[in-house]
Amino acid sequence: MAWVTWRQHRAQLVGAVGLLVALALAALITRLPIQSAFNRDSLSACLPPAARTGCDLIVPHFENEFAGWVAAVRGLAVLPALAGLFVGAPLLARELEHETHRFAWTQGVTRRRWLLSKTSLLAAGTLLLGALASGVVMWWRGPFDTLEGRIGPSGFDIEGLVVPAYALFALALGVLCGLIFRRSVAAMTATLVAFGATRFLVLEFLRPHFLTPLHRIVAATATGSQGAGNWVLSDTLVDGGGRQITAASENLAVLHAQQARIDPHSYIVTLGWKRVISYQPAGRFWTFQLLEAGLFVALAAAVVLVAVWLVRRTPT
Amino acid sequence: MSASLLPTPRRQDRGFVGRAGSGYDPAVIEFHLDPRSGVATYLQIVQQVKDALRLGTIGIGDQLPTVREVVADLAINPNTVAKAYRELERDGLVVARQGRGTFVADTLAPPSMQHHDELRAALERWLDRAEAAGLDEESIRALITATLRGTPSRRVA
Amino acid sequence: MSGAPLVADGLGKRYGRDWGLRDCTLTIPDGAIVGLTGANAAGKSTLLALATGLLAPSEGSVSVLGRDPLRDPSVLADVGFVAQGAPLYRSFSVAETIEFVRRTNSGWDDEIVPDLLTRISSRAKVGSLSEGERARLALGLVLGKRPRLVLLDEPFASLDPLAGRELLQLLMDHVAETAATVVIASHVIADIERVCDHIVLLTGGGVRLESNVEVLLDSHRLLTGPRRPLGSIRGVREIVRERHSGRQLTLLVVTDGPIVDPSWTVEPVGLEDLLLAYMAPERLPTPRTSEKVPLRWHG
Repeated sequence: MAWVTWRQHRAQLVGAVGLLVALALAALITRLPIQSAFNRDSLSACLPPAARTGCDLIVPHFENEFAGWVAAVRGLAVLPALAGLFVGAPLLARELEHETHRFAWTQGVTRRRWLLSKTSLLAAGTLLLGALASGVVMWWRGPFDTLEGRIGPSGFDIEGLVVPAYALFALALGVLCGLIFRRSVAAMTATLVAFGATRFLVLEFLRPHFLTPLHRIVAATATGSQGAGNWVLSDTLVDGGGRQITAASENLAVLHAQQARIDPHSYIVTLGWKRVISYQPAGRFWTFQLLEAGLFVALAAAVVLVAVWLVRRTPT
Repeated sequence: MSASLLPTPRRQDRGFVGRAGSGYDPAVIEFHLDPRSGVATYLQIVQQVKDALRLGTIGIGDQLPTVREVVADLAINPNTVAKAYRELERDGLVVARQGRGTFVADTLAPPSMQHHDELRAALERWLDRAEAAGLDEESIRALITATLRGTPSRRVA
Repeated sequence: MSGAPLVADGLGKRYGRDWGLRDCTLTIPDGAIVGLTGANAAGKSTLLALATGLLAPSEGSVSVLGRDPLRDPSVLADVGFVAQGAPLYRSFSVAETIEFVRRTNSGWDDEIVPDLLTRISSRAKVGSLSEGERARLALGLVLGKRPRLVLLDEPFASLDPLAGRELLQLLMDHVAETAATVVIASHVIADIERVCDHIVLLTGGGVRLESNVEVLLDSHRLLTGPRRPLGSIRGVREIVRERHSGRQLTLLVVTDGPIVDPSWTVEPVGLEDLLLAYMAPERLPTPRTSEKVPLRWHG
């Protein structure tokens, strides 16, 4: 089946490698100005925990300078989905659409073995390319990661182990959707929706709780999020008793202070209010990567098993 | 009288449509099938072998085409050919040698060749006359068939 | 019976509310060349799809070479199937298609490759071949793995007569060499009449006839005579169809003995007309009794 898989997916392989090469070239080219800016501004002295005076001006300036590129690179989070859309979904959808399954599935290889072999080989390729892409992005984001940390979504989703894991999951989803919807366009759409929904749900509801978040209590007037490189989950005002202050109450207090011609910040302090910051520390990056990657790989395996079970029952 | 055409004796190679260089010996007889004659296929083959024997175009020791050759040429059921050859073997006209093929074992009493040529020439003259009288091929056949059967022909030009 | 090439027992397949095939019970004898015929949508393709595990039965069972194609799909290594339209990967070259079949069938024998490549370039894309060349390629690929059972679904559809003849030559040559069992599904009876020694006729999703061809032809006769009320006729076991026109009555009958009643003209029936009579009751072949030699009719 190795030759068969290669022959049927060689165009996709070429496309994926081309994409990777383009990515690497773009990374190479754009990294140069970033590196020179980093050195010019001596930003290495601003790396946490060192806090040189002036850093709180230089660092945001540096980040603004390349904000566009950083945002664009964040968009690369869509790359893993491509494995599902253009490799996974067409695998079965195209066979069923063109009815070539009546040729492919009446040879000496059973349907299940055919599907399992093809998917395994494609998964290996996807893992490899995903890992390479992840490596390229991690290298590019080096300066930014050191300054602002990588455990936040802007870094986490496009670096490390999760990228190949997402791609694997997308591939598996594509295969299953291809089997269920039997038409390329419908399968691709369904794959995209399912992939996006899963990623969203994990990011919003699971990842914040992989490990119990840490809390830090700071004065209400303190600026900044107190600890660069961490992933801040919430930053709220609480009163002396630990109850959260609503925005309405906060506004009321500020208004009150202004009417009394007192500085609002000092007033809030006298009220005994504090800021509670809930966060995941930067040091947990690799643990979280392992957990999330493991989750998506397990999901991918489950989806593939469903597809392999279902393929024998597919009416044709 | 069979409605099939007389077999054409061939001494040279013939190519099978769709076969690539099979490398067999030139066949002594090539069969034709007339699916519309109402006569069973295997009987047509039997008849064509017998006619060839009568005409002397095949003789004792000649090998009949193998089942595979006939089948690849005519695209008919191999069992049909096998059945025809079995019937010929039952009649003692051919014998099947294990692994080597089917060979002619006996002849049907042929008229002497001299008469053959005479009769053929006379027949050709008669055919010219029939044609001149306006009979087409079908009418000629009907006339011959009816005459052979001994009943008056119903079709007179 | 367990090793018979194809056995169906009460086999049925439902599509939504309609039954594509219902209560189908038949046994294909070993080494037979079977014509599976019937009108379009009579269930021929459904039966073949069930036999190759492409469909799961709604009721009943089917086995090929003694095994269930769904539960035991490895039996398909011994079964050659060409689906309707001879599906192949259009973007593959001929050589790549052969490679595909070589790699997915352990029983593949390269001996057939030269036959496949007569007048076709091995580098040509399958999509660029003519219908006839594609059909011959598909058949050759199936024969190349030397199957014990060959199933063909409408192999002659959209083929010109020469291509159809070449297909049959290729197939019959293989059968002569391997004694494989063949089932050819075709709604054009003339195409299969040449080679089949066994007939299965499906009408409306059920088995209408299943018989050896010789037995079938021997046991049916066409009777013509003046129109009259019918009693039982000696030698006639069953009247399949009757038709009257004016003062003449025509019967297609199953016989169980010689018919000697002089008031009837008795003639044999050609296979195509016999099957048509079973398929479409309103149409009965028109006999012509002016010649003793039986002719083919197109009713």
